[in-house]
Amino acid sequence: MNFLNNTFKNSLCIGVVLFIASQTFAQEHDDEEDNKTGPHGGRLLEADGFVVELTVFEQLVEPQFRAWAFLDEIEIAPSDWQIGVELTRLGGNTDNPSFVNNGEFFVSSPIAEPHSFDVRVTANYAGSSYHWDYESPEGRVDLSPQQVARLGIVTQVADAQSLLQQELLYGKITPDPKLVSHITARYPGLIRSVSPELGDYVNQGDLVATVEANDSLQTYEIRAPISGTVIDSHANPGEFASDQPLLTIANYSNVWADLNVFPSEAQRIRAGQEVSLRMGELSTSSTIRYLNPGEGLSPHVIARVPLANPDLIWTPGLLVEADVTVAKFDVDLAVENTALQDFLGRPVVFIQVGNSFEARPLQLGRSDRRFTEVLSGLNRGDIYVVANSYLLKADLEKSGATHAH
Amino acid sequence: MINFILRSSIEQRWLVLAITLALSLLGVWNYFQLPIDAVPDITNVQVQVNTEAPGYSPLEAEQRITFPVETGLAGLPNLAYTRSLSRYGLSQVTVVFDEGTDIYFARNLISERLAVLSSQLPDGINPEMGPISTGLGEIFMYTISAEDNALQPDGSPYDSTALREIQDWIIRPQLMLVDGINEINSTGGYEKQFHVTPDPTELLRWGISMQDVVDALRNNNSNRGAGYIEANGQQLLIRSTGQLSSFEDIENVPLAIRGDVPIRIADVAEVSIGSQLRTGAATRDGVETVLGTAFMLMGANSRTVARDVALKLQEVNASLPKGVTAEPAYDRTVLVDKTIKTVQENLLGGALLVISVLFLMLGNFRAALITMIVIPISMLGTFTGMVTFGISANLMSLGALDFGIIVDGAVIIVENSVRRLSEAQKQNNDLLSREQRLRVVFDATNEVIRPSLFGVGIITFVYLPIFALTGIEGKMFHPMAITVILALTTAIILCFTLVPAALAIFMTGKISERENILIRGLKKVYRPLLLFSLKLRWLVIGVATAIVGLCIALALTLGTEFIPQLDEGDIAMHALRIPGTGLNQAVEMQRAIEIRISQFGEVDRVFSKIGTPEIATDPMPPGVADTFIMLKPNSQWPKPSKTKAEFIAELEEAMSEIPGNNYEFTQPIEMRFNELISGVRADLGIKVFGDDLDQLLRLAEQVREIIEPVQGAADVQVEQVSGLPILTIVPKRDVLARYGVNISDLQELIGTAMGGQPAGLIFEGDRRFELIVRLPEEMRTDLYRLGRLPVPTASFTDGPGYVPLSEVATIELTTVPNQVNRENGKRRIVVTSNIRDRDLGSFVEEARQRIDAQLQLPPGYWIEYGGTYQQLESARERLSLVVPVTLAIIFGILLMAFSSFKDALIIFTGVPLALTGGVVALWLRDMPLSISAGVGFIALSGVAVLNGLIMLSFISSLRDRRGNLVDSIIEGAMTRLRPVLMTALVASLGFIPMALNTSIGAEVQRPLATVVIGGIISSTLLTLLVLPAFYRIIHWRGAKAA
Repeated sequence: MNFLNNTFKNSLCIGVVLFIASQTFAQEHDDEEDNKTGPHGGRLLEADGFVVELTVFEQLVEPQFRAWAFLDEIEIAPSDWQIGVELTRLGGNTDNPSFVNNGEFFVSSPIAEPHSFDVRVTANYAGSSYHWDYESPEGRVDLSPQQVARLGIVTQVADAQSLLQQELLYGKITPDPKLVSHITARYPGLIRSVSPELGDYVNQGDLVATVEANDSLQTYEIRAPISGTVIDSHANPGEFASDQPLLTIANYSNVWADLNVFPSEAQRIRAGQEVSLRMGELSTSSTIRYLNPGEGLSPHVIARVPLANPDLIWTPGLLVEADVTVAKFDVDLAVENTALQDFLGRPVVFIQVGNSFEARPLQLGRSDRRFTEVLSGLNRGDIYVVANSYLLKADLEKSGATHAH
Repeated sequence: MINFILRSSIEQRWLVLAITLALSLLGVWNYFQLPIDAVPDITNVQVQVNTEAPGYSPLEAEQRITFPVETGLAGLPNLAYTRSLSRYGLSQVTVVFDEGTDIYFARNLISERLAVLSSQLPDGINPEMGPISTGLGEIFMYTISAEDNALQPDGSPYDSTALREIQDWIIRPQLMLVDGINEINSTGGYEKQFHVTPDPTELLRWGISMQDVVDALRNNNSNRGAGYIEANGQQLLIRSTGQLSSFEDIENVPLAIRGDVPIRIADVAEVSIGSQLRTGAATRDGVETVLGTAFMLMGANSRTVARDVALKLQEVNASLPKGVTAEPAYDRTVLVDKTIKTVQENLLGGALLVISVLFLMLGNFRAALITMIVIPISMLGTFTGMVTFGISANLMSLGALDFGIIVDGAVIIVENSVRRLSEAQKQNNDLLSREQRLRVVFDATNEVIRPSLFGVGIITFVYLPIFALTGIEGKMFHPMAITVILALTTAIILCFTLVPAALAIFMTGKISERENILIRGLKKVYRPLLLFSLKLRWLVIGVATAIVGLCIALALTLGTEFIPQLDEGDIAMHALRIPGTGLNQAVEMQRAIEIRISQFGEVDRVFSKIGTPEIATDPMPPGVADTFIMLKPNSQWPKPSKTKAEFIAELEEAMSEIPGNNYEFTQPIEMRFNELISGVRADLGIKVFGDDLDQLLRLAEQVREIIEPVQGAADVQVEQVSGLPILTIVPKRDVLARYGVNISDLQELIGTAMGGQPAGLIFEGDRRFELIVRLPEEMRTDLYRLGRLPVPTASFTDGPGYVPLSEVATIELTTVPNQVNRENGKRRIVVTSNIRDRDLGSFVEEARQRIDAQLQLPPGYWIEYGGTYQQLESARERLSLVVPVTLAIIFGILLMAFSSFKDALIIFTGVPLALTGGVVALWLRDMPLSISAGVGFIALSGVAVLNGLIMLSFISSLRDRRGNLVDSIIEGAMTRLRPVLMTALVASLGFIPMALNTSIGAEVQRPLATVVIGGIISSTLLTLLVLPAFYRIIHWRGAKAA
């Protein structure tokens, strides 16, 4: 028997070695720091056998605390004990949500976002009072001043701002129709003289041509109706003048910018709005005089902007870009757009308190190209991150960063 | 048979010598053919099919490219499985073939299919196969940098575009020529491009569209050959030139005529050198750089190839512009040399120790020399075998060689011959005649040839279970087993050919076989002990059994580790950032990491590859970086006594202070293997297959919820596939129709404006650069400006002729899957779980049951189970079959040897006795049980059996001659003390350098050597004392009966 045993053992021994070796589990025994959760999935606070279970409940309702109590694992009716919670948020604000007894457990008043606070729980039961403190941070990153400097994190104080909403429109410079004159001969006849050359500047009342009328054979004078440049001339002495314009005088000292306004912008564009016009290096500003339906069948409207053009740099036909100021208003609190990050599906900024940075979910209002109005979630005077806030978001979400091939 | 061979070997001894010499020369030649590497190659037979798809989002890449490619490749012969991933701008299908498939055959099959496929893919999309390389292929990396004051010919400093140009057009072409190099991949820098950036306002003004610009450039950039003419007997070729070659040329390309005025490119656009929309970047010591990676052709010799590349790079440096240098960043030679040095040290040290023992114990110079010569010759034979079987020389394959075990057979034969020769001389009182000498040698050899053949044969046999390992474990350990078997087989053959022949030739003259003081002393000690053990035999057996029992218990308390970690000396660190992190942001974050890392005194240099290199051999999203940390030699550390593990802990600590990154620590080769093999690395992977990604994700989440409460579940995770922020431009069809704009025109415009559209090539000599039309950078990056982008309209010729983009499309910021994974032609998401404190089988069973019961799978969705548990299960199944079979075979051999069940059994008891020492040695050195240690135990069992064989065969034959049991035992044991001690000593001393070595690569061999040394000590002691006692007990009745 002994021998058989031994044979068995031999095979067992080699077998055992190989089997054990083949069990690949690197037996990493997690130091299973049981974050003890109670029967309702909440945090358990314990003292002398008296246990309070506290959860933040946010399914289908406004986030609220719910609390149960146990003595030696036997549930205590909410009528037999009292609970109080004080929440201290980053920056020192405190909240004291009130608790009501709903018959089965305590329910607190709604807790505002973010759910990141130091919690002090007090409870009274059977004449004894208990209290516990714990930290429940959420969306918080701690960085030393050196790290902040090294990472290029720049902060700014949240404050009131003037917002300037602008629309970018394209348009064309056109001459002022009142300042273009097509001169014709009043009576058909022979042109005797034409004084200005093409491109000459004439003043209002200057003699520009003489024509000998066919009927009366009288020579009459044609004078410039407006001051301006001769931009077209079809008249030479000896030619016959009838219906055709002899000369075209145009004055470009005032021109129009016709801006194309498409239907989706039309509701925001109004007469009287300020416009700054750009063409390459050139720029000027003016206001919209009126809106005109576009030519033809196109659904767009034309916003007409008069432009003084003393140096004659805005020549008709030029294509211009126009920033139209559609709204200008002051808001009590606004943050830079570069500060905004999307965190857990909500817009946030990161505020700085000491060495801590914390995500603050915001309710946003109107915005322009630089600032966005904050309706709630941030206070005036809060220090928030404007540059490299992505690093903070990345740090908070990094546990989800994996590398799958 | 053996008799015949033995006799002919002795008679034709000179011929044997000559043949051996010839075979040795063959071995020397083969040694130079032998591929040398640091570690065995564990990559499977795979081909990557990469398709670059500029601008494609993950979903589009999957739909338009991955799917057709994958479907087209389905059903190839020898195909094991396919898997794919689709990312932004890239589709990668990995085709894995059955083990042993010829890679060139596989690639041929694929290229045939790809040729057919090309018609099904979108225009301009060409799938390409990745380099013919394996996980060991990335043998050399270098970075290119310029001195601060170095200037380009045009006076500007070298930027990363200029450096990339140098990489692409000077360095890469030269390195590609190095023998054994399959590919030079580039990471980082910007490919130089000529950019034409039209101003939308100017385009509007002249009524010219983006497409007009592209067309104009395409139509004005070519040379044309026009045949030839013969003029007065001379042949004149005709050619018309028109290629654009300078900024001026490009600027002068006419676009249109407006009112008699030609509008040229210069009127509406800027022309400049721009940077490509790159997918990857590289940094070194905190500075952006350009990084080249050399891929070695599969099966080439990494040491020579890496060395050749390094030499070539030095030459190349001479041809670089002044101030620009290409420096090696990673050189595989360093690691290979270190490992080979470790192996050499171990083998040489072992050989020296073995030789000195032989001299010491045999007391005869010639005899020791004959024994010793077996070592180099069997090594050379092994090399020949390795080349034949295509095994590379590396840490694992050479790691288990013990010269002590190799010479065991020879030791026994030589020892016996020397003893017999000297006895014969004493009898003869004179030198022996040649015939006498030959006869004595034959008799002596013949006397022990069987036990030694059986013994060595058994050692060889016990390596067989290793072949039961499959997968990665198999790939790591098969070469080891094959090499050992080769070496032992050579040694066995030498035992009955060369050794007797050499004995016959060289053991002339007076054989001074004096038992030296050592042996005599040992015998003096041994005799009383032996008598004592025979007397108290039951007690001895009891104690031995108790020790075995204790050690089994001890073995169960040891930690386990499946595959040993090969220390590569350097660190590879993944720096992971959240999906959606931009490349330039990642570069900034990586710079912070590198600057911090280079502050460590232990670090020689640090460099990183971020995102995807030019050839997508390792497609990482832009947020992920492979950081290579090259360490200084330990002696140059600020504190040389610090271990690497301690350093990594410090590094981890320092890294955790840099926000925004997650880290994974590994090693360069290990990382590459993981990237290529890439299967599910958790114990259990539950793969959910189906069509709809959202549905899949929901199901996967449900699976996670079901699995998590199962007892034993740990680290349950759903593969992350979502979270890529994307700007979607959704055309409003009705509005577009109203303006008469086609969706494709709109998309073309957006594509050109944002992504850029290639409009031809600009040639500068050999170099060619893309000509790209796209919006100016400041407009591309301004989302508001994007909305104002004028879209040319077809109708309303009397209107303004354009409509802003935001009028005809909505621009949305959404999140899409950041990659789509597929396996065997279907989308899948994996839920992984590790299993702790519970056996795999029952866990998987319970998980299956729960999922079947609780998960409602919609039609078209199904679940598969995979993960390492499968490998483990199958390994265990095989082992539980193969181990007993092997033991049975050994037992069979023993039975054959002794024709006695009892004797075979007695010898077998040596095995557990040997194992005790191994277990204790492991425990003393605080080492886990690993496959390495397991291999040690295997070798040990063989040596233990050998010990028993030597002892028992002699006792048996004595007993047959004399009949007296106790006397036979005592005399047999005393006579066999020397060979037993010798074989044991050489076997354990041969491993001593391995057990003590701490240099690179030693960690694999250390457990093995430790086990063998410990085990042999215990086995020898116990063989000498327990075996005789046991023999006495078992044969007592028989003796009495007789």
